[in-house]
Amino acid sequence: MTNLAKAKSYKSDIKPIWCPGCGDFAVLSALTKAFAFLDLAKQDLAVISGIGCSSRLPAYFSSYGFHGIHGRALPIASGLKLARPELTVIASGGDGDGFSIGGNHFIHACRRNLDMTYIVMDNEVYGMTKGQASPTTQPDWASSKLTPHGTGVRPFQPAAIALASGASFIARAFSGDPNGMTKLIIAAIQHPGFSFIQVLSPCPTFRPEQKLWKHQVEAFPHEPTDDPVKAATRLYTDDGMSSGLIFQSNYPTWNKPEVAQTSVKQFEEEFVV
Amino acid sequence: MIKPESIEDLETFLALAYLLEIESSDRYTELADNMQVHNDPEVEQLFRKLSEYSGKHASEIIEHAEGMVLPNVASWDFEWQSPEGPETTAFEFVEYQITPVKVLQLALHNEIRGHDFYAHIAEQSPSEEIRKLATEFTDEESEHVELLKNWIAEMEQNKGNTRDDMDPPNMPE
Repeated sequence: MTNLAKAKSYKSDIKPIWCPGCGDFAVLSALTKAFAFLDLAKQDLAVISGIGCSSRLPAYFSSYGFHGIHGRALPIASGLKLARPELTVIASGGDGDGFSIGGNHFIHACRRNLDMTYIVMDNEVYGMTKGQASPTTQPDWASSKLTPHGTGVRPFQPAAIALASGASFIARAFSGDPNGMTKLIIAAIQHPGFSFIQVLSPCPTFRPEQKLWKHQVEAFPHEPTDDPVKAATRLYTDDGMSSGLIFQSNYPTWNKPEVAQTSVKQFEEEFVV
Repeated sequence: MIKPESIEDLETFLALAYLLEIESSDRYTELADNMQVHNDPEVEQLFRKLSEYSGKHASEIIEHAEGMVLPNVASWDFEWQSPEGPETTAFEFVEYQITPVKVLQLALHNEIRGHDFYAHIAEQSPSEEIRKLATEFTDEESEHVELLKNWIAEMEQNKGNTRDDMDPPNMPE
């Protein structure tokens, strides 16, 4: 009848502790719907995260998962994908985890273009530690006692950096458009390569003004492109509030060599003191 | 994107109607779970009751579809007037100080959208069979709207519609 009727079967018995109204609920819901639509077997699915409000995500699935350490969702997910290439691997987390603590991993995961999906729930704030400026916070946001005059620092540009680093699927979604987000997640999982989705996911507690995002987010006025120059131009002329698929290309993915290049014995010899 | 009013076969219409009720029921459950975690049993129970009602409507649609094979439909394949189906509560509408009256007002908002959705199909569908069933669903939604209006009036008399928090969670450190 409808695959979506079984979406909730991908959820665990653990109830999310996010604040009521948090955008991350819509991401959890969209992921379960995407998994159900693609009819993914739970044993072939792993959700990996770092630390933060949004990084609680793996606990809420009945599939395999790993709630890792701060900023290290991508190394863990990359290792898993290399060891078990047949799995569908979803890495997830927030803007602080992904772009600050894990910023360098983000760049190199894009560059390697392993076949996995990375979803960053971007609320422009460190919510779990009670509201400090994150890498994507605007320079004049002065609501934290740590930065009473704002950070004065230009925000990190996730989609542009993903593009420059070699990600082969780049999209921006909005938690206020759950159906649009579900479609993007399905396309990202189906894409053979590193798929990055920046989800604009309001924090109603520490950034209540983000409730206005629903009036600001609009669909990208362009069709997706496979031309990085066109994509870069669009990203640099965009206000960061457009949603949709931005860029998709068929860059080669990096895979584990089929034949081991070093034997265990050789490894052991190298460690002999 | 498919316009719901352009559906021509009864099976797809029933599959969509079922999907709307299931999505609505699941969302109420998600909201109930959230309010349980935040230790608000009154609002939690209200969301659970609403989830149960939507679940019953989904079962009724299955009864209508007895003997039919319903197609696999996805909410995002259809063109809506709202970000999701007409009877699904957006997560963003709920906040930690939500009152029972506001919960019922949200449910009323959903039922009115559901009513308008079916009324539009009842007017526009190319299939007489679908128009007839959509008219029946429209009447049912009208009943739900009236029930909720009465429920809200009764609750407003007995309870207030505001809550205070002397120690709000959003005090930045």
